[in-house]
Amino acid sequence: MSNITALTEDERDCYQEITNVAMGQAADRLARLLNVYVVLPIPNVNIIERNEFKMTIKSLEDAPSVSAVCQGFIGAGIAGEALLIFNDSSFSDIARLLNYGSEQNTNEELEMLMDVANVLNGACIQGIGNQLDINFSQSHPIVLGQHRPISELLDDKHATWKRTMAIEINYTIKDHNVNCDLILLFTEESVHHMNRLISFLLED
Amino acid sequence: MTIKVLICDDSNMARKQMSRSLPADWPIEITFAKNGAEAIEEIKKGGQELMFLDLTMPVLDGYQTLEAIRKEDLPIMVIVVSGDIQPAARDRVKKLGAIEFIKKPVDKDKIKSVLIEYGIIDNAGGDNE
Repeated sequence: MSNITALTEDERDCYQEITNVAMGQAADRLARLLNVYVVLPIPNVNIIERNEFKMTIKSLEDAPSVSAVCQGFIGAGIAGEALLIFNDSSFSDIARLLNYGSEQNTNEELEMLMDVANVLNGACIQGIGNQLDINFSQSHPIVLGQHRPISELLDDKHATWKRTMAIEINYTIKDHNVNCDLILLFTEESVHHMNRLISFLLED
Repeated sequence: MTIKVLICDDSNMARKQMSRSLPADWPIEITFAKNGAEAIEEIKKGGQELMFLDLTMPVLDGYQTLEAIRKEDLPIMVIVVSGDIQPAARDRVKKLGAIEFIKKPVDKDKIKSVLIEYGIIDNAGGDNE
């Protein structure tokens, strides 16, 4: 199969719009869980090489330490991973919103990370799947690391791929200091399949 | 009589989906805008009666567009069409003067029922296929 080097403008637009709808559904779930308003950005969709990966995570590049979980998904010849990265400074506000005590230990932070990941990742993946008529199966979330610099966290993982489609969604919560990045990574073969699926949506 | 309808969304696909979802037998002239600033410009030219407005857009987003319409008292009905389905988003756009909120992906029947509800089209109109 030929390499995917770039998306056409229509393809990028289509993935952005599909993501826009899916992340809205995910934000709604999180908003109801935390009783807040989640600010929705315009998602970034890019075909990237492995060495460009860290550069795509612009919104968290200044964070001194982050925590992250990843979760695989697969269905109808499409496979990928959802990576949720939290700026560690977010935890005190999330703890307050989830009614935890004032001081968090690492275990409680892990629990919060998993709770939010379950809501955001799941709704976003299913939201994309619904629009493409795919029922994605999701694996259990795996902790990539806690309280580490982002460069360290991403260095030793995700080393098997060369090129991928990355969709980055930066979620923030209105009036609260919560900042996280949900990054969806699709394998190169998946992008071929997905391009075929979306071609039906792009027809005139 | 032909009604002038404005569709404002930064996504080309979303603009197409929106225009395809309007009742087929409805005599309209559609104009497209890629962001709120373009929409405001079109509205100021005069004649636009109804706008379908996205929220998340560059340059001027949907909220800012609604604020501008209100501030300048521009004569247009606005239906917000957005993927941001949080109750707070719906409340906020209604407070800013939108007559209705429709969630994405758009549904033909939902659009038709909203248009009937506000007397923009009448119930007797033919099918939209």
